[in-house]
Amino acid sequence: MMWRALSADWLKIRGKGIWFLAFLGPLGLIAMQGLNFGLRYDYLRGQYREDLWGGLLSEVVPFVPIALYLGGTLICSLIANVEHQTSAWKQLLALPVSRTAVFMAKLLLCLLLLIVSCLLLSAGTVVLGLLLGFGAQPIPLADVLRIGFAAYAAAMPVIALQLWLSLSSRNQTLPVSVGLTLSLVSPFGVYFTEWMPLSWPVLAWSDPRPWLFSGAGLLLGLLVILPGAIHFARKDVD
Amino acid sequence: MKDTVIETKNLLKEYRGRAAVKNLNLNITKGEIYGFLGPNGAGKTTTIRMLLGLIKPTSGSIEIFGKELRANRMQILRKVGSLVESPSYYGHLSAWDNLEAIRRILGVPKVRIAEVLEIVSLTGEETRPVKGFSLGMKQRLGIAAALLGSPELLILDEPTNGLDPSGIQEIRSLIKRLPGEQGITVLVSSHLLSEIEQMAGTVGIIREGQMVYQDTIAHLQQQAAGHLRLALSEPETALMTAVRRGCGGELQEGRLVLPRMSDARVSLLVKELVEEGHAIYRVEEHRQSLEEFFLQVVGGGEL
Repeated sequence: MMWRALSADWLKIRGKGIWFLAFLGPLGLIAMQGLNFGLRYDYLRGQYREDLWGGLLSEVVPFVPIALYLGGTLICSLIANVEHQTSAWKQLLALPVSRTAVFMAKLLLCLLLLIVSCLLLSAGTVVLGLLLGFGAQPIPLADVLRIGFAAYAAAMPVIALQLWLSLSSRNQTLPVSVGLTLSLVSPFGVYFTEWMPLSWPVLAWSDPRPWLFSGAGLLLGLLVILPGAIHFARKDVD
Repeated sequence: MKDTVIETKNLLKEYRGRAAVKNLNLNITKGEIYGFLGPNGAGKTTTIRMLLGLIKPTSGSIEIFGKELRANRMQILRKVGSLVESPSYYGHLSAWDNLEAIRRILGVPKVRIAEVLEIVSLTGEETRPVKGFSLGMKQRLGIAAALLGSPELLILDEPTNGLDPSGIQEIRSLIKRLPGEQGITVLVSSHLLSEIEQMAGTVGIIREGQMVYQDTIAHLQQQAAGHLRLALSEPETALMTAVRRGCGGELQEGRLVLPRMSDARVSLLVKELVEEGHAIYRVEEHRQSLEEFFLQVVGGGEL
């Protein structure tokens, strides 16, 4: 039943600029690094000559957590807005489909869109590296995939929270403000404590035990999804 | 024994201690058009949202198709089509895609889309984005969406609200066709008596969250009793005669106004007045219009 709801959602987000956003994020990051390397090519190439790919990844990676938080916030809000805009909830939820299925379909849609973004980021990084002539050195495929997906898993609590907030109220000011604030604060998270979930996407790359933080993110994400889904299933639809 | 499609018992919904709907007992029979009537804010939409499981009653029970709603929500909703208040649609999608999004959840064959578009006469408009539709077209699309799953029960909340006269006419004739052609039971709400009067067989009137009247339209029309007006030469003494005969009555603009009574009593009274020497110029029966009666009911008057 969730798949039915997902297939309906797939159709509904057409032409809402959501796909555009999912493409814009990673391609923007790559374009920025293209500019960075293009302007300082000789300097950076000299700097990273031992490990050119590693150097490129280390330049891309600082922007990934904040991009994920921002992208997640906006995608959740846009997906929720498709239903909020013409108060389509009362039509959708009066259909023979369980509320949990509707909630999970929206979550899955949001996660799928972000997966596409992460894949594009990895693919874009490889293309950029090859364009910059790093092809002589072997491509570290595992690390290339890790720049997006390690942070993606670690960002799960915030994404789940954003979806919950966005679906809860028609007014998107609160969820978007919360999302923006979290995104902007996140780079400073590492200065506090590693127990702060906000810093996990950064630590999922830079910490000596990166998997710990990706895993913790997935786990806490599940814990946030649960009350979100229960609240959504019980609330009155106005 | 008639088949009951919707039955609610002592339905109560409170918002912050204020009852939006209280002690509501709805009874809707299979194959009828039930008009749910009441002024704005009387609790019609709240009731309908409860019937669709969109909001939870504070207390009381709802049975649809003889099954408890909460426990059998999915099974029941599979046989229910609904249109609640303002039309719900996805403006950026075409009419066809709007219905397709719902079809994917219902899992009905694709041919149903063309069929329901035909029923609401939107064929030919299906590729245009819905945001460019007129309100009437959006409302018709909403009805098409409600019909998509071939429901046995159709719940329409204010389907004609905000439409122009021709749009109202169109929706009305569409609704009237449904029970006959497809054997559908229809619950239609409105704040306009004239609307309900032209569509429904049974009417339920709700005021301040409480059902104040539930019976057939024909019975309602009978209830809307009239009164008798007599124009005569000496109304004051005639009034005393009428009061003495136990007819009650009062003087209005120099005329004797009497409550409705049987033909026999009217003839007796008139005969007596004539014998007393009154010159009777006119005996008129003034029937209260249904509209006045309705206003009296929703305005707090007793039945």
